[in-house]
Amino acid sequence: MPGTPYPKLQMHRIAYTKLTPQQILARLGPAATSGPASAAPPSDALAGKQLRIVTDKGLTLAYRFNGTRRLSVAENGGRSVDAGYGALTLDDVVLFSHLIPGTQRGYTVVVDRETNQATVFELWFSGYEDNREVQREIHYGYVEQPGQAAPAGRHAPTNRVEGKGFYWRQDTGTETLEFYPSAAYSHFVELSRTGGELGFSAPSDYVKIDDDLFICTRTECEFSGTFTLYVMDVNRAQQVGVRLGFDANDALDYYVFHGRGEWLGQIAQFEKFGDTAGDVVPPPAGAGKGARRIYRPLKTLPKMTKAEVDALVAVKTKVFDKPSPMAGNRGPSTGWLAGKTLTLRYDNGPVMDYRFDDAETLHWRKDGGGWTQARYEAWESMPGVILFGHLLEGEPNHDGHMIVADFDYGLVTCFNGYLNTPYFANEAGVKTLFGVIEMEGLVPPKYNRHHFTDEMLGRAVSWNYSPGLTSMHLYSTPHTVSWIIFTDSGAGGLEWSGPGAFVKIREGLYFLYWLEEACNGTLGTVLVNLRTMHDAGIGYHCGEEGLSLGQMGAHARHAGRFDITRFYQLKTRGDAA
Amino acid sequence: MTTERASTRRSFVKGGALLAAPLAVAAPAAAMAQDQRSTRLAPLEDEAAIRDLHQAWLRRVNSGEDTAGLFADPRRAAFEDRLRGVVADHTGAPDAIELARDGLSAAGRFACIVETEADLGEDCTLAQMAHAQGGGFIRQSERRVLNADYVKTKGVWAIAKVGFAAT
Repeated sequence: MPGTPYPKLQMHRIAYTKLTPQQILARLGPAATSGPASAAPPSDALAGKQLRIVTDKGLTLAYRFNGTRRLSVAENGGRSVDAGYGALTLDDVVLFSHLIPGTQRGYTVVVDRETNQATVFELWFSGYEDNREVQREIHYGYVEQPGQAAPAGRHAPTNRVEGKGFYWRQDTGTETLEFYPSAAYSHFVELSRTGGELGFSAPSDYVKIDDDLFICTRTECEFSGTFTLYVMDVNRAQQVGVRLGFDANDALDYYVFHGRGEWLGQIAQFEKFGDTAGDVVPPPAGAGKGARRIYRPLKTLPKMTKAEVDALVAVKTKVFDKPSPMAGNRGPSTGWLAGKTLTLRYDNGPVMDYRFDDAETLHWRKDGGGWTQARYEAWESMPGVILFGHLLEGEPNHDGHMIVADFDYGLVTCFNGYLNTPYFANEAGVKTLFGVIEMEGLVPPKYNRHHFTDEMLGRAVSWNYSPGLTSMHLYSTPHTVSWIIFTDSGAGGLEWSGPGAFVKIREGLYFLYWLEEACNGTLGTVLVNLRTMHDAGIGYHCGEEGLSLGQMGAHARHAGRFDITRFYQLKTRGDAA
Repeated sequence: MTTERASTRRSFVKGGALLAAPLAVAAPAAAMAQDQRSTRLAPLEDEAAIRDLHQAWLRRVNSGEDTAGLFADPRRAAFEDRLRGVVADHTGAPDAIELARDGLSAAGRFACIVETEADLGEDCTLAQMAHAQGGGFIRQSERRVLNADYVKTKGVWAIAKVGFAAT
């Protein structure tokens, strides 16, 4: 029986080997000689030709192409070295890639034969503390033509790719969904390599060649460090590209590829009209070669043991204690539950009895145990639907229940957050509990329940939590929430993502969570009302400052939707072809 | 007969003496007029000096320079950290400077637009990411009234205190 398409570990859980420069050099050696692999026959567009590329930063590269696989290159007028190369064409564009033998460096060059403009991506390993992470410096320039003046124009950074999304199928068989909701990052779902359960985010470059053709890159920072670059024709949904890096088994991936795709749609941009600027998240002034701003959340996550968590939670626990920037646009809380007594009976979880003393204090008991007092807060997001949350003091994993109860239908869903998870004890985990409400005057359904939904799949929704704090969610898989942070100009900037789930409460009302796994460890839960375009939410978090339950609230804007549902239908094996 | 009208020293002295009498008589009046002019000019000069002082303060605030030297007590120069700029609001009420009777203190009232920048902090993931991309600040502009008190010491005006109020 064939195996499943899923990896043993998702990308963010793989402990990638810290390769040494020597190990990297040894692995690059053969590829430097042979050039990148290619499923397609190599292009002969450059065979027998010589090119001298001059760039604005001063780098010059003099090439002599000996056939379709070998070249010699002289950097900055230096000595020529021989290397293997691979080239592919897309319309008038030639993309070629090679390494410099005996080094951890190489170049991928994009030449537009119509304009003679050229963009050089200088690539190298061992430029960051994680040696396997490919570094890049972009050099804009042109191909020198004897007797001709240099072209005035250049390829240039752009935000014109922002908001697009494509399905790509490479000639290697690799299938991906790739989203560009930011002008500085991208989001990708590996459909074939990892089964498409989760999407991931990576710093990216976007360079405009013309209105149809763009260069996109991504570096899988915080993961394998692999670099992917391609030229894409957004009209024809075609691409040529290169992939360079080391996979989870430390094998070298170095190949050029053709790809064909499908346009998935276009979501909104939030820059001012007329703003098409790229490089929206420039590196700090004076930063060195290849510098870029990269979100590295795992580096700053305090990593705690179970004993440390238990000791901390015992002395530092905060429940709805102070206004947070994440709740600047929260709605008013409700006292509707005050004075009520009810039971939440979960099918796949505990029976929770409640006595609501007032608008902020409740008593709970689990499975008929003893009563415990807890601080809570509640919001009525839609008439008859209450979101409330509280901690379960005394539970061994410091559980928090974030609950949506629909009193018109007698249904309840709980995102049960907990700590003491396998990777870092302070990183939140979550279970989704479905059930019914039992209380006087209410007859719950026997069979009907809230249920997971794909109605949010593909949507992008911006969230303004408070002045200066706005993000956009992208729901890229049925189990992924990605979030993009806007720059001051309204461009999409840094992006990250985590596992998530979506439960339909009512038409236009969805209860969703995201888990900041290998990030900040937070469990974010929000009840999204697409009618009011407002959410009510509760964040569950444990860090060095202790365990906290805090409110969230933001105003939403619908930014559009990618048409991706078809990629997540489970099919009888063999149907996919 | 020609009457010599040429002036002689004597005649000048005489004339002077003649003139001297009225001058001597007029001296208190001139002094009085001078005093009146001074009295009239002094407030105008004070007001001009205060306006110059206000402009100097604005320039320093907007360029990020230390304003302590403009204050009678440099310790009063400290201002909220989030202030990034103050510009005149020409759509607001006219500037008003009111001098005390003794001419040694004054109060100014200036319509302005205050630009502030507040650090979002790094309490949540989004704020951390905003900082990571070089942002993480809330920038706002608000119409306010700048209320300033001034004191004159040894003939020089200095700021006693400044504060903002809602329009």
